[in-house]
Parts: sequence; structure tokens; C-alpha cells
Amino acid sequence: MIIRSSSQVSRWKVLRRFPVPRRLGVPGESRIERGRFWPAPPGAKRVKRFEIYRYDPDSGRNPRLDTFEVDLDDSGPMVLDALIWIKSKADSTLTFRRSCREGVCGSCAMTLDGTNWLACTRFISETESPASIYPLANFPVIKDLVPDQSHALAQYALIEPWLKPDGPPPQHERLQSVAERKRLDGYYECILCCCCTSGCPSHWWNGSRSLGPAVLLQAWRWLTDSRDAAKGERLDALEDPFRLYRCHTILNCTRTCPKGLNPGKAIAEIKKLLLERTL
Amino acid sequence: MLEMKPEGLSSARPRPRSPNIQNYRPQLTSVLSIANRITALVSTVAMVVFVAWLIAAELSPRSYDAMYAAAMSPIGRALLVIATFAFFLHLCGSMRHLVWDSVRGFELGAIYISGWVAIVASVVLTAAAWVTGLLLKG
Repeated sequence: MIIRSSSQVSRWKVLRRFPVPRRLGVPGESRIERGRFWPAPPGAKRVKRFEIYRYDPDSGRNPRLDTFEVDLDDSGPMVLDALIWIKSKADSTLTFRRSCREGVCGSCAMTLDGTNWLACTRFISETESPASIYPLANFPVIKDLVPDQSHALAQYALIEPWLKPDGPPPQHERLQSVAERKRLDGYYECILCCCCTSGCPSHWWNGSRSLGPAVLLQAWRWLTDSRDAAKGERLDALEDPFRLYRCHTILNCTRTCPKGLNPGKAIAEIKKLLLERTL
Repeated sequence: MLEMKPEGLSSARPRPRSPNIQNYRPQLTSVLSIANRITALVSTVAMVVFVAWLIAAELSPRSYDAMYAAAMSPIGRALLVIATFAFFLHLCGSMRHLVWDSVRGFELGAIYISGWVAIVASVVLTAAAWVTGLLLKG
């Protein structure tokens, strides 16, 4: 099947997960146990099941997988609507981040049916039955569907994501030509939801030192900014076997970006620039 | 703030990590990436076997005959076909990477088309190599 846009949901169900043992490399505290079943309210006609990862840090127990039945006639059309329905009609302790409900803030990024997307821009009708909802893959979990993104954000801070211009501040705006501004298209739109970083196998295995696609896309966004004068310094900071070169162009990032951006291409641009610098 | 660790919170238990490979859906992107590594490994092992074959030919007719008999056994033939396919898949996969290194072919449609082309091409090349080989053998 040819995927032309990251928003396409693959209809192939041949290989739902990699043939690895469920507990391969999973430390004891991360092992998922069977949770409880939350039946639909009596009288519900169109019912859909959702398997949702639950973790309560105060319980002292392992994460578990709860199954919720949602009354689709009573819920909105998006996965986020189903989560809100569960929170208000079934289990008020279900915890998740959400804000804009229109794919702009990036708060409700999670792993839906095994791929990363925003709960607010994924239709319930596009999900499997039962739909599976996990917090962003490979992130430490604070509670239920809330991942701890502090490490990814610290990596973002490392690339110094701000304009570093040359010389004294000008009397007017720093102007760009239309062509110069166009170079930021496809990169400035990133909402830092971390769907790509969470879906990157290189970041799974070397996340402590590899920066991951979201941060590297941001790095390119500043490298390609005509107003920025710190190109050499930025490239020096990236030229590292782990920070940049753990990217092996797997391209799960480009496949999963809910904004349709291309972190894989941004990283290739950085590698090309580094190569050109040595010539 | 950024270094906030669970020890600093009420719970002393380490935070669980959300599953990665246990739950993440295999996609053409990741499957071909891991395939490129596996085929590299298979090709390397095949290269060692190839050198062993040359050494056997050099040592004595008896050792060569033994090596030939092993290669022509059903398992030997199957392994040779697998090794040929691995070689071609690695070749085609690596050409995608070569093109990507020049920052071309990164549109999602291009990534998927080149991926399927690599798979189909390596099947065709494997078949062509074997047909040619068997025809030459007569």
C-alpha cells in the first residue's frame, strides 16, 4: 500500500506488531497488567470498545490495560471526544492532556492503534475495534496518558532554539525576501507534539544521547533561517555520533507527523550541510 | 525544572515507560530499515561462506566436492536463494539511502514507492540471477 500523506491510516493488518516477546527489554515497573472492564451504560445502541493504558502513580501498582465501552451516539466524532466522554460518563480519574481540540497545540499526542497521532484529529471511525490508546511510545508515564516530556524538552533547549543574529540590534524588523521566508515552510509549523520522536526506533534505543526527529527538525529550522548568524556554532553542536548521526533514515517520523511535516528531510539537510562544510 | 525526576515527587517508584517496539505498528519505513540491517548481516555471513568455498576449491578435490554437495542439498539451495535475495534487497535498500543522502525522494509517496520498488526489484533480480545461472550451467 502506497501512503502519500501521514494522515492516511493503513488498512493492512498483516503485521500488527513486531514479532518480539511482549516483555523484551521491559523493566518490571513497565509491565502492563490486565485492567478492568467498564461496560457501556444500559440502553446504549452504538457501542465501541477502547483499550486504554492506565497508570496511577499513587497506587504503587503496575500499569494496566482497561477496556471502556463508549456510547458513540452520546460522544463526539474524534478520539479525544471519546476520552472526554469516558472521563465525564465512566471514570473521572482518566487522565490525559488536551487543550485546543483542533491539532494546533499538540497536547493530546498519543499512540493510537500503534501509531502516533493527535487524539483530536483522529476520527473514531478510523480506529480499529477495539481501539488501542497508549501514552506516547517510549516516554516515561506520569499518569495514564500523560507522558513526561522533560527529557525531550531539555534536548530542545540544547539546540538553542532562538534567533542568534549578527551585530547590534537594527532599528527596524529583520527583513527576509519571499524566497528566504519560504525556506522555513514545512519546518516552522512544528507544534512539538513529539509524535515523531516517540515513533523513532533510534530514539528508543539511544534516546538519552540521540536528539530525535522533533528536535533535529527544529535545529534545521534555525540553520536555514536567513537571519540567523550562528550556523557554524549550531553545526558544531550537532556534529556528534549520537546527537545527529544516530538517525539512520528510518523515516517513521515522516510517516507519523500529524502536521504532515518532514523531519526526515530536515535531518538529511543537516547531514548534507555538514558534508558540504568539509569540502 | 527540566531535570525533574520521579524521586522528587510523592512516589518513590520509578515511572513506567510506555511500550515502544512491543506496541508500535510495523510500517514499510521501519520494516525496510530493519530489513536492511538483517540483509547486511546475511550478506556478510554469505561472504564468509563464499571464501570458505574458494578455500575448499584450493585445498583438495575432496573438500571441494563436500562443499559442493552441501551447497546443492535442498537446505543449501534454499540458503543460497535467501543469501542472493538478501544481497539484492540490501543493494536496492542502500541505493534508496544513497538517493536520500542527496536530500531527494523524501515525499511520503516517494518513500513508499521507492520502498516497494526495492522489494519488487530484489525479487526480480534474485529470480533473474538464478535463471541466468541455471541456464549457463545448462
